[in-house]
Amino acid sequence: MAEHIANQLYADSSIIMLLYDELENSKEIRKCVIDGVIDASLLKPKLILDKFQVIVAATRAIHNQKHEKMTTKTIHSEILFCLSPSKNISDSYRNFGLGEEDKCILVVIVDDQDNSKLNALQQLIKGRQLPLSDLHSTADTSAIKKIYKIRDEELEVCSLLDAVVTRISSKEIVTL
Amino acid sequence: MKLIKQGAEAKIYRGDFYGRPCILKERFSKSYRQPALDRSLTAQRIKAEVRALFRCRLHGISVPTVYFVDIDSSCIYMEDITDSCTVREYIVQTQKENGDSAISQLKPLAAKIGGIVGKMHGNNILHGDLTTSNMLLRGSPLDLNIVMIDFGLSYFDSLAENKGVDLYVLERALLSTHPNTEELFTTLLEAYKQANKKGAAEVISKLDEVRMRGRKRTMVG
Repeated sequence: MAEHIANQLYADSSIIMLLYDELENSKEIRKCVIDGVIDASLLKPKLILDKFQVIVAATRAIHNQKHEKMTTKTIHSEILFCLSPSKNISDSYRNFGLGEEDKCILVVIVDDQDNSKLNALQQLIKGRQLPLSDLHSTADTSAIKKIYKIRDEELEVCSLLDAVVTRISSKEIVTL
Repeated sequence: MKLIKQGAEAKIYRGDFYGRPCILKERFSKSYRQPALDRSLTAQRIKAEVRALFRCRLHGISVPTVYFVDIDSSCIYMEDITDSCTVREYIVQTQKENGDSAISQLKPLAAKIGGIVGKMHGNNILHGDLTTSNMLLRGSPLDLNIVMIDFGLSYFDSLAENKGVDLYVLERALLSTHPNTEELFTTLLEAYKQANKKGAAEVISKLDEVRMRGRKRTMVG
């Protein structure tokens, strides 16, 4: 049920996303990723409005990797960093990364040719998997507005998702 | 991606970005420029364009959503405003169909445009190429849902002089592409004054100066 999304700009990498709630072992999963046993981005679904938001950030991250312009050390931490409006890496982790007590998780995996990362994760995660379309209900729009600093004036002319996407794609160029 | 337009600065392609209709604007290199200068200029202009799009959004001016910016290959991927026509096409069509009554029908549109330009200038965003082709009407033209596009020549500035030139470019563009629209520009300026209350008087007096001498400042002495 993992959703594979072919990368349009770099055909050799694809993006995989998995959404879970009723998560029992977020502490364990976090530890595996921090120790480097498992290679993936662990995100808080609360701040993700739609899979498109992740796609835009992942495309940015993959682009930075191909051009050797990454701010962080790995592609999966780069996705998290690209997703965040902050230019501070630890802030980005704190806001968008999975917390120890979280009951809900969005996993993002890129560059997984043989599905080994995906299989390892699926065995590790103890929770109930949801379709990605459920992101709309797991998202907290007021938290998203706050973290991306989106005011109502802007939402008169575009959707919340469009406002978020513009911020992610323009992050390197625009300073708020 | 399919090429749909080529201008002096960039090529425009139409395609899709992960299922969303997308416009790709690729600035090409100019072989007559010194290569290092060319790269730097192109990068600066892409950044200026993205910044302007962003600032417009912040202030509630409708513009396309930016999906991806690639400075290395000078590309901006942005939302394709589907189901739209340019203001230019709409004015031409209305004038063709309605003859003399066209002007009064187009007045709300002119007022709306004036309001948008006034808001932009009030926030020191100068478009740089205000023509009726760079404004789209999304959905039914009667809804006056205007989306501003092509910020390739835009910049930020607080000088009334430059805002006057921006308006002058719009006036020339309007009057030269659409005959007998002087009255529409007057309506537009009225709305501009409402939207840019603080600066409008000075900008309009500069506009009068610019009308006398043309877009370029005379450099004598």
